[in-house]
Amino acid sequence: MSALLRDAPATAAQAATIIRDAAAADRVLRLVGAGTWLDAGHPVRAHAELSTEQLAGITSYRPEDLTLSAGAGTTLAELDAATRVHGQWCPLLPWGDDRGTIGATIATATSGPFAERLGRPRELVLGLECVDGTGRIVAAGGRVVKNVAGFDLTRAVTGSWGTLGLITQVHLRLRARPVVDESWAVDVPASAVAAIEAFARGPFAPLACVMMGTDGPHPEAPEDGHWMVRLGGNEANLAAARAALRAIGTLRPLASEAWDELRIARAPVERALRWRWDPLSRRLRERFDPAQVLNRGLLGEVA
Amino acid sequence: MTSLAAELGRIVGDAHVIARATQLLVYRSDALPGLQRAPALAVFPGTRDELVAVVRALAAAGAPFVARGAGTGLSGGALAEGITLLGLHRLKRILALDPIGRTATVEPGVVNATLTRAAAPHGLHYAPDPSSQTACTIGGNIAENAGGPHCLKYGVTLDHAVRATVVLPGGEVVTLDRGDADRGDGSGGGYDLLGAFIGSEGCFGVVVDVTVRLTPDPERVITLLADFMRVRDAADATSRIIAAGVLPAALELMDQPTIEAVESSVYAAGYPRDAAAVLLIEVDGAAAGLEDDAREVERLCRAAGARGVRVAHDASERARLWQGRKKAFGAMGRVAPHLVVQDAVVPRSQLAELLDDIAAIGAQHGVRICNVFHAGDGNLHPNIPYDAHDAGESARVHAAMTEIMTRCIEAGGTITGEHGVGLDKLPYMEQLFTPDTLDAMCSLRAVFDPDRRANPGKVVPVRACREWHAAVAARPATHDGGGA
Repeated sequence: MSALLRDAPATAAQAATIIRDAAAADRVLRLVGAGTWLDAGHPVRAHAELSTEQLAGITSYRPEDLTLSAGAGTTLAELDAATRVHGQWCPLLPWGDDRGTIGATIATATSGPFAERLGRPRELVLGLECVDGTGRIVAAGGRVVKNVAGFDLTRAVTGSWGTLGLITQVHLRLRARPVVDESWAVDVPASAVAAIEAFARGPFAPLACVMMGTDGPHPEAPEDGHWMVRLGGNEANLAAARAALRAIGTLRPLASEAWDELRIARAPVERALRWRWDPLSRRLRERFDPAQVLNRGLLGEVA
Repeated sequence: MTSLAAELGRIVGDAHVIARATQLLVYRSDALPGLQRAPALAVFPGTRDELVAVVRALAAAGAPFVARGAGTGLSGGALAEGITLLGLHRLKRILALDPIGRTATVEPGVVNATLTRAAAPHGLHYAPDPSSQTACTIGGNIAENAGGPHCLKYGVTLDHAVRATVVLPGGEVVTLDRGDADRGDGSGGGYDLLGAFIGSEGCFGVVVDVTVRLTPDPERVITLLADFMRVRDAADATSRIIAAGVLPAALELMDQPTIEAVESSVYAAGYPRDAAAVLLIEVDGAAAGLEDDAREVERLCRAAGARGVRVAHDASERARLWQGRKKAFGAMGRVAPHLVVQDAVVPRSQLAELLDDIAAIGAQHGVRICNVFHAGDGNLHPNIPYDAHDAGESARVHAAMTEIMTRCIEAGGTITGEHGVGLDKLPYMEQLFTPDTLDAMCSLRAVFDPDRRANPGKVVPVRACREWHAAVAARPATHDGGGA
């Protein structure tokens, strides 16, 4: 597979030329970020790779607006480092590790253990630039936090696994990091399972509350009855949340790295998907990539 | 009666079809003044089956149509000039309410506030709360991707819709979800078709039913009113609060002309009449620690120059403070017979500068601008009370609005945050988006409505669609509408 030709455009215009040429020659391009999500269960039989590695870097960041724009090839680690110094974060923290790119995270709409509380890609992307299968450079949405101007191409492209376009840039909503952020391993007796489920859904709104051991493929996952809980808030809020947890089970401090391990361990499970190819979805693909230049076969659409 | 009217009458009963011109005048406008276009026909299905049959009959006749909820839209989006208006207000049943799963499935004509009332006994509510929530419908909210004050923390309509049954303009009935649903059929992924549909302003199809998320009522709510002697300081306080990472449930700004209108009306809320601006700020969530958040908000307001910060003592004071905000548009009826409620978004850090510019534009054109808006989101509502029968004043209002929109685009903002493009914002679309992007929007529309029969002439100027140009070239005698 390494014998594949590899194009790495540095601008959307260059990407458009490559895609138009490929469409004219009936060649298939496999879109690549960090290269960690390549087949999703359906191998792409591509003639060349189209990489976002030259489309990397933060292009605009206004901490006072809590918004950020970055090239698709920017790694999650880079986003984390740039926002951390301002007490902010891009809270996607998706399954997989931080060498992954923001472009791939948005293209696959990969969320993570904190999605329920902090938002999914489909909620945190304000806009994006992409090049579709016909070579159109599409600037969807915008950079402001509320926007209903025109039809929502951002939602269509987010989570489309590159089958509608190559994402070249994304505009994201950031969040402030909680004043206090702490994690606990909680041993929950069988009699208190309902109580911790209520805690997870209750007013303390934990950043995450994950039961380990049933669906967790993590080789070192604790046995049933162990929960990983992450709390975020001000001091008084967390003191009360901790007290509520102690009434449910036994608490042990958990290093924040445990979440990174969980994200990596769960990634293979999260990427196995069976795409819904209803008539509307087929028409969408047809309108944006009629020649199936981009990731042909990735979502099992070719018999 | 035309044959189409007779056909629709056979489906819904003649009592629910209007074909008489004088009766159709009721439907010649929505909540945007100054734009009146009467439909040729109006039809009001009363059941799901009738709705689907009506859309199929329209498809068979090749007839364009416009779906309409309560007609509270502010962009002229529900006008059906010379074509069929499809009114959905009779479809108002709450089909299911699941307090454990925290969802409700409703017909499109259910009123926003009615759903919240139905959820209240379970300690739940429907979070998106447009100012028109006592009248506007969930179907209309879906079409417009409606917002509201509490969307700052809880998100807009898009963030609360789970699944929808939709009848496409061609008559096909489909189920849309966000692409990440567990559908129980083993498929775990898909395009975000519902996300694409929400905010499509009636151009993609008609909601038959929609399942939305219900949000638990917060354990505690603290409402503060901060008053400022300079509008700039109120905008500055907004930026400080957002940047500090306190996420209020709502953060609303009202300026002096708005305060004056409210305080002179029956909705008087006790806002200080001599303030240049007030911020209405709400923090909510778990009771523990909430007072610390409120104190932090107060500290930031004072640091930005607030003259005073008042905390609502009880539920009735809180309700009064909010009533002033929510009825501010109505209160402006005291000032002039008509009101343009504008809508634009700018980066939050530029609010102070933009408000200065808006004041200057108003002064230059001799119009009075009342600002009442979602400051926490940077979502401006510069409103102009005026007399639409005065041609000179109408022209000045229009000129001022055009300049304000241009200024917001220059600031890196957008032309609408929650009201939609409709007819009113159509002229700005080519200013905001590139030809490729507009053409891609036409492609997205074509997925759902290839014949452009649903709400024709809205959202995207038809000249931006390359496919339309090709079709026109091949078939010169087209009768297409003005939009995509």
